[in-house]
Formats: sequence, C-alpha cells, structure tokens
Amino acid sequence: MSADNAIRSARVELVCIACPIACRLTVTTSLRGDVTVTGNLCVRGEAYGSEEVRAPKRILTAVVPTDSAQFPCAPVRTDKAISRGLVKRLLSELYGLRIALPVSQGQVLMEDFDGARVVFTRTLPPDEIPPVGKPGAESEGHNEIPGLEQAP
Amino acid sequence: MIRRAIDAVVVGGGSAGLAAALRLRESGATVAVVEREPFLGGILLQCIHTGFGLHEFGEDLTGPEYAERFIRPALSAGIEIFLDATVTEIGEELEGRSVTALSRSLGVVRFSARVVVLAMGCRERNRGNVAIAGTRPAGVLTAGLAQRLVNIEGCVPGKNVVIVGSGDIGLIMARRLTLVGCTVRAVVEIQDYPSGSARNIAQCLNDYSIPLHLGHVVTRIEGRDRVEAVRVAPLEDGNPSPNREFRIPCDTVLLSVGLIPENELSRAAGVPINEGTAGPWVDADLMTGARGIFACGNVLHVHDLVDFVTEEARRCAERAAVYLEGGAREPMIPVNAGANVRCVVPNACAPGRQNVFYLRSLVVKNDALLELRVGGQEIRTKKLAHVQPSEMIRFGLEPGAIQEPSSDTGRVIEVAIR
Repeated sequence: MSADNAIRSARVELVCIACPIACRLTVTTSLRGDVTVTGNLCVRGEAYGSEEVRAPKRILTAVVPTDSAQFPCAPVRTDKAISRGLVKRLLSELYGLRIALPVSQGQVLMEDFDGARVVFTRTLPPDEIPPVGKPGAESEGHNEIPGLEQAP
Repeated sequence: MIRRAIDAVVVGGGSAGLAAALRLRESGATVAVVEREPFLGGILLQCIHTGFGLHEFGEDLTGPEYAERFIRPALSAGIEIFLDATVTEIGEELEGRSVTALSRSLGVVRFSARVVVLAMGCRERNRGNVAIAGTRPAGVLTAGLAQRLVNIEGCVPGKNVVIVGSGDIGLIMARRLTLVGCTVRAVVEIQDYPSGSARNIAQCLNDYSIPLHLGHVVTRIEGRDRVEAVRVAPLEDGNPSPNREFRIPCDTVLLSVGLIPENELSRAAGVPINEGTAGPWVDADLMTGARGIFACGNVLHVHDLVDFVTEEARRCAERAAVYLEGGAREPMIPVNAGANVRCVVPNACAPGRQNVFYLRSLVVKNDALLELRVGGQEIRTKKLAHVQPSEMIRFGLEPGAIQEPSSDTGRVIEVAIR
C-alpha cells in the first residue's frame, strides 16, 4: 500500500460480535476498496469485520403474537444474518401477524426474507410431560420406577 | 399426601437441573425433577436472543432452542417430572433426605431420596439491594422481569426507559425494548467499565446509539404514581457530584444490578453458604456441606454462560451417581481464594482426577497471571490476556497435578491473580 493510500484509506475499530471473546478488530479499507481485518482470532472475525464496513448484517430475534391466551408470544429468529437496514421492515411484518398454535421449534414462518428463513425457536404449547410414575415412551427397558403410592 | 421413594430429586427444571437429571438417569438412577413453573426450561425460555450453545453445540442458539435440546431428551428418558410444584423443605432421614413439594395437581408430595441436587438458579437484585433514593412510583422493575413481560407475556412495560446497571441482561433488554418500540434514554453504570460483555455493548447499545454513562449513578427516582424522571450524577472520589447532576425524563426504570443465588431452601436445610459466591460451599464432587446434597448452576454461583452451567451440572451428576453407588470418597485438598480473587468454585480439589475450577477476579487487569500455590509453593501459573470481575475465569487441573494429601494435613491450595 502506498503512503498516499494509507493516508486516505478508511480505518475503523470494531468489537467482533461473532462470539463472547469479542476480539478488538481493526478494519482498513484501501482506496481501491480492498478490506483488511486485523486483531481477529478466527475466520469468523475476518468475515464479520469486512462485512461490517461494507454492509452490516445481524441475526434478528423477536416474538410474534399468537391466538393463545396462555402463550401469547411465539419466539422466532432469522437463521442467517440479514441487512441491518431491513430489520425494521421485518419487525413490522412480524408484528402484523397472528399465529395459530401449535408451532414447533424449527418450523418455518417465512421462507425467504433477504435470503434468510424466519423460524420458530420454541415449541408451543410445550410437549406434554409423561404421566408421573410411568416411564417415558422411549425407555421401556427402565421399568424399575415404582408406581405412585397414595399414603393413608 | 403422596409418598415417593427415589434415588435422586433434582430441585429446578432449568438448564442446570435438566443436564444433571439426564446424566443421573443415564447412570441408571431413578430421578425426579421438581419445577415450580408449569413448563421446563427455566429462564432460558425468556432469553429469545442468540449467543447460547457456542461451547456445548458449536452453534449460535437462542435460549428456547438451547432449552429444548435438554427438554426433549428429558421427556423420553424416564425421568419423573413434577411441574407447577414448589419444594418447600429438604429434611433429613435415616438414610438420605426427605424433599417436600407442593404440587398444584397432586397436593403434597413427599420424596425419600438418597441424593438431592440443588438447581434452583438465581434471582435478580432489586431496588432494595441498591438503595436508590426517591419516591416509590410504578414503573421500576428488574431487567429480567421486563424480559419475561416482553418475551413471554407479550406486554411492553413502558415507553421511555432508563436502565440502571450495564450487566448483560440490561444490555440485552436495551436492544429488545428498542425493537418493540421503546426509547431507551440511557444506560447508567456506577463503575468505570461496563459489567456486560464488550460484544453486547457493541451489538445492543452502539447499534442503536443508546448512551452509556460510565462512572455515573442514579441519585433519585422522581414521580408520584408513575416514574417521571431519574436524576443522574457522575461520581467524583466515590461520591455523586451534585453540581454535575442531570435529569433524564422517563416513565420506566429497569434495574440490571446483579444476580443472587437463590438459597433460602438450602439454608433451611442446613447447607453452609460461601459469602464470596452466595452459594453453598462445595467439595470437588460439588457436594455441599450437608451430606447427600449437591449443587450446580446459578444456585451454586452465578455463571456468564449457560454452556458452563451445563458442563458443571453434568460433572455434579456424575459425582452424585458415584455417591449413589457408594463409591469411596477420594482424598481432597481445600481450595481458597487468594489475592485479587473474589471467589473460586469448587472449594476443594481431588488430586487423583481432572478438576475444573471457576473463579472471578476482584480487579480489572491486562496481562494478568493466574497462580496456584500449595503451602506457599507455586505449582501452576496461567497467563490471562484480560481479567475483570464480570468475566468468569475457567481453568482445569489434570490428574496428578497436585500430590495426594498425605499425613501433612492442613495443606491448602490458594488461587491468586497477579
């Protein structure tokens, strides 16, 4: 890089959000548009740093209203990061919905929003618990749990 | 009253309780989980944001996703699950422990258990714990309660919000409230550095241009029926500076001022408590000072990451399973917090096997050195690039790293940061 470029190129200090280590990144964009990332411990830091200066993206999580009084909110996420600039638009789409339960974790709510899928993250209503005193469906080999004794 | 004889009762069906129950069940023990909420999963269910499971699964999961990875196996493992049931007392029996629970559907349930695993988690410090002056209007609530309201109940607690304390829950809620249409006016932190992670400062505050006032305190809450404003002042020589005080109009104050392990039940059962962690003292088996009672997760000490809760709960269950089989207790050496260390867990080391310790620093420091000494003699050091009180430090000690305690009793391992 020439001295001239060094002066006129852009340099940004960032904190990587890819994981809790939170590497302090220095991202330099040359006049030609080449981006270099330093300070990162892994490839995810490099990807985050260069993406952040070009077109920042975030994973979005939110809750959508349901038709249930018992479980009024169904939590959702995007399976990939979406453009930060589109977060508001996705939120207003989600807040306008009214979801009929049941839903299960991983079930797709929107197939494609900015290249990401919006999926439910919680099974609602939650799976029924097995009746007390009886072993669960997949553990027929463990019948040693005695039945409930009603004390006098 | 229903009576129930069982190998192990796990108190709490959150991340610690589920991981412990599953591991105990895998060992062949009969296990009951008693959970006071009507569903399993604990506080993870209201943590709809990502950041969970990076260690445990190598994936960036939301709280509910992480929880269901344990709920599903628990439902089919033959674990007895009691929901909507609150444990009111842990007592002593001739052989083991009694656990009394009040269940909405079953009434009083009395367990006779050989092992009890405490996994009740923690609760939030509130306004009384931090003594903020002013009136007592509506609109002052803890960050975790606000999180439950927004993410589970579907209500928004206010419009203009000031957050006191920069713990991770407070930062996460700053972003969350912004996304549901609130204006977060400020985050006020008494210390000169944020108590939450740098990553959350970046993605929760900076992304939304939320001001962070470090080295500031809320000196007063104003308002008659509802919060109208808070007064905020910078600290000078440890005291709020009245001349530089300013007022932030708001209708809601969120407190994110720390967590306390929830140990009323443990105390009543005679479990000795460590003041450094506010959780039970535990030996290398994560067994408390009360025989047959084990502890893991946030009831033992407040963790930063659920992944470490899972790891600790499994280790606890493995040792509880050995105890159930009547395995011989290994010799142990006490472990104490030394210079610049607020607390270390567990409080003993079994030299014959792998040991994992968690500790918290009392100081903020770069290029720190973690030091283990036995009887004044240095046995191990570890370089730490950065330490601060809000970041838990984890380190392992392989089998044989320390000689078995012999006749020279009174040996103590001291953990210090320099």
